[in-house]
Amino acid sequence: MRKKVREGLLTSPSFVWLCLFFLAPTILVVVLAFRPPDPYGGIGRGWTLATIRSLANPYYLAIAWRTLWISLVTTAACLLLAVPSGYTIARASQKTRNFLMMLVIIPYWTSFLIRIFAWRSLLHPEGLIKKALVALGLVGDQASLLYNSGSVILVNVYTFLPFAILPLYAAAEKFDFRLLEAARDLGAKPFAAFRRVFLPGIRRGLLTAVLVVFIPSLGSYVIPDLVGGPSSEMLGNKIAQRVFVDRNLPHASALSVILILAVLAPLAVVLFMQRRKGKVEINLSEGL
Amino acid sequence: MRRSRLPFVVTAAVLVFFYLPIAILVVNSFNASRFGGSWQGFSLKWYARLLHEPEIWTAARNTLLIASTVTAVSLVLGTCSALALHKFAKSRLQRAHYLLIYTPLVVPEILMGISLLMAFVAAGIHLGLFTIFLAHVTFCISFVALVVLARLQDFDDAIIEAAQDLGAGWWAVTRRVLLPMLVPGLAAGGLLAFTLSVDDFVITFFVAGPGSTTLPIRVYSMIKHGATPLINALSTILLVLTFTTVTVSQRLSRSPLREGT
Amino acid sequence: MSEFLDFQGVSKRFGAIQAVDQVSLEIKKGEFFSLLGPSGCGKTTMLRLAAGFEQPDSGRVFLDGRDITDLPPNKRKVNTIFQSYALFPHLTVRENIAFGLEIAKRPKKEIGAEVGAMLRLIQMEDQAHKKPAQLSGGQKQRVAVARALINKPQVLLLDEPLAALDLKLRQRMLIELDMIHDEVGITFLYVTHDQGEAMSLSDRIAVMDSGRIEQVGTSAEIYETPRTSFVAAFIGDANFLEGKVTRLVDAEYCRLSIAGLPEVICFNDKSIVPGASLFLSIRPEKIQISRDKPETSPLRNIMPAKVEDVIYLGSTTKYWVRSGGHRLQVLRQHFRFFLDEKPIRWKDDVWVWWHGDDGFMLDRFRSGDEKLISAPPQKVGEE
Repeated sequence: MRKKVREGLLTSPSFVWLCLFFLAPTILVVVLAFRPPDPYGGIGRGWTLATIRSLANPYYLAIAWRTLWISLVTTAACLLLAVPSGYTIARASQKTRNFLMMLVIIPYWTSFLIRIFAWRSLLHPEGLIKKALVALGLVGDQASLLYNSGSVILVNVYTFLPFAILPLYAAAEKFDFRLLEAARDLGAKPFAAFRRVFLPGIRRGLLTAVLVVFIPSLGSYVIPDLVGGPSSEMLGNKIAQRVFVDRNLPHASALSVILILAVLAPLAVVLFMQRRKGKVEINLSEGL
Repeated sequence: MRRSRLPFVVTAAVLVFFYLPIAILVVNSFNASRFGGSWQGFSLKWYARLLHEPEIWTAARNTLLIASTVTAVSLVLGTCSALALHKFAKSRLQRAHYLLIYTPLVVPEILMGISLLMAFVAAGIHLGLFTIFLAHVTFCISFVALVVLARLQDFDDAIIEAAQDLGAGWWAVTRRVLLPMLVPGLAAGGLLAFTLSVDDFVITFFVAGPGSTTLPIRVYSMIKHGATPLINALSTILLVLTFTTVTVSQRLSRSPLREGT
Repeated sequence: MSEFLDFQGVSKRFGAIQAVDQVSLEIKKGEFFSLLGPSGCGKTTMLRLAAGFEQPDSGRVFLDGRDITDLPPNKRKVNTIFQSYALFPHLTVRENIAFGLEIAKRPKKEIGAEVGAMLRLIQMEDQAHKKPAQLSGGQKQRVAVARALINKPQVLLLDEPLAALDLKLRQRMLIELDMIHDEVGITFLYVTHDQGEAMSLSDRIAVMDSGRIEQVGTSAEIYETPRTSFVAAFIGDANFLEGKVTRLVDAEYCRLSIAGLPEVICFNDKSIVPGASLFLSIRPEKIQISRDKPETSPLRNIMPAKVEDVIYLGSTTKYWVRSGGHRLQVLRQHFRFFLDEKPIRWKDDVWVWWHGDDGFMLDRFRSGDEKLISAPPQKVGEE
């Protein structure tokens, strides 16, 4: 019995804290979606389904759809860039590997806002990139690189790429590269070996990479806020708008519920797959 | 075996991609010109101007205050959590515990921000530095717990048994063996918590009150209200600070168990 | 010499596996006692029960007359040498060795003196300031031994301490361990799967399999008179023949009939009555082989055989022969320059014989145990 007491003592500080400040507030958000808004800002009295029903609107559908496809494109782009990077770094010598991973991680440690701001300056009509592209004759003088879905995706990829490289590198490091040689020995061309042997070999890393890019991307708020325009509004923006501008908390809650569901869906899929195959744990601390 | 050059090229491009905006930012902070597009000579005037902005100093002070207290508290909570997860790994309580620790890491920050805001509003807690502190601890616990847990899993459990075998009770084991061996992991976790707290924007934005700013919030409003070059200077300073912090953290997190051989 | 470390009917189960099954064992004071057996036989669990890292499900453990079953490991006067040595990586050699004394809050001067003496004993005075990561495998082991011995435990527990060392080092450490035991005089409980280690170091050995003790005895007893097929097969090699006692020949011998073979005479140390069926076991080196028929004698068992396999090993040769349908292993040492004789080759007709004293009858035979004996595979196809 003493063991149970000790376990309880060690577990309760963090457990209680997180229940209080993470679990309970999340449930609160879902609950508040069933309340009407108070006309003076804040939460009204009584229960209603009106708040939720008001979401069944093509306007919100469009935002949800846009959030989804921007996140999908971001994830795809991140994978396309992160897989070769993880592969290259894992094949390097031990010292080079550590050095390269440091290089990958350092930008992540700098302020998130600052990096977005840096892109905003770069993509600015008066900024460097625009000037360079005009000089190369690739875009017209009137074209705007900023304030559209493209810039949102670009900065999204910039922000989330390190998160994709870390687990892919961790998986590639554990991969036995002699398997590729064996595949070549059996007649496979380089790309075929890559596709049939390497990619399946790092599938745990691929899964982790997809999750750590797709899910946070769904909740992007600052990025579309700073480099996106009105035509590239995402769920995050709408939620913030409802909270700070419209002071309509129940509506913000309702939108948050959509976001919660969108986040839970891929997680549920993964959990389901795990249960069928036994233990395929996603280790987020890999690379930390 | 001839290897394709393609992955290497992509990796190099990715690294350039990572550092280009930062490099330009740093360069521009020394640019006498107001607009980043053209170079008008080297100047430190933006740094000078920065020193005379009282709001920035207040924000910096708040940020440091919050970050230090958050680091202390989340270190304690996170380490207890990691110890529980490691020692009692197979119990049902720990499986629920692990889920609880793990989920904040995958949830988008905006969800955490709005849920905490709602909770504070519903409970009638006044929004300010204290609520920021509470919010930061909430997401730092998970990071600290996972870093320390990773270090614990590297442990040779026989070492704890050896200490007991030589006569040490649980307090002596903790004080003389467990904690000293954990120190690098604790330092890495602490630095991680510190940096996350200093850098956090979204959650802080939601739970900060009107009177309390942190540096990221200040930077955000500076960005929103006109692209002044002051931001370049401030950014460069922050960049240098976080870079130093990371290098120190990397040195400390190199496990003593792997040194030598 | 009294029983010093005493296990009384201890059992321990881990989930579905019964690691230790009602084991009783008495270890004498000052003995070098080995627990020998394959992986998973329960020997390490026994050690951990003695150290206090596991509690038995049933049964008690006594040390020097005291019941220590409920004592936690830090309160037992017993120290362990772990397989991985488990040296404290953040402490120097000196601090590692001093650890137990510091916990016991001995005065600083005393600690200094004793640690110094230990360092001299293991000849590592000039490495006292180093950290474990800077030491070689052999050095780490010596520090582990010093760290344990300095506390003057009543029993020293060693968990396969030589397993991580390479061959030459292992041979050297074997001698050192033996010397330390002789000098210090403490009871050693040594766990290993290596029969060579166990036999050369121990005063007595307990052979374990699947949580039970198969036999306890000196090295010679275990080798020359194994009681079960497991012990016969696990230590060295053996031949097994199934037969029935036909009649007794005076008080000391009896005759057995074995299918396909002429009547066999065997030393009867088990007072077996005629009619009993049992297994006869003979060590390969006790069987002689030659092309010429040997002289008959009342206590010799002689039979014709055909050679099926020959493996030349330098100082010895192993033969597998078939006689009366039974496959026998014969080990022959070359007393003379080998090439002087006409060598016995595959498919030769030979005579094999052994003395009646050299066979032994088994208490228990398990057919699976035969797989423990290494043998070339049976031939595929025929000539």
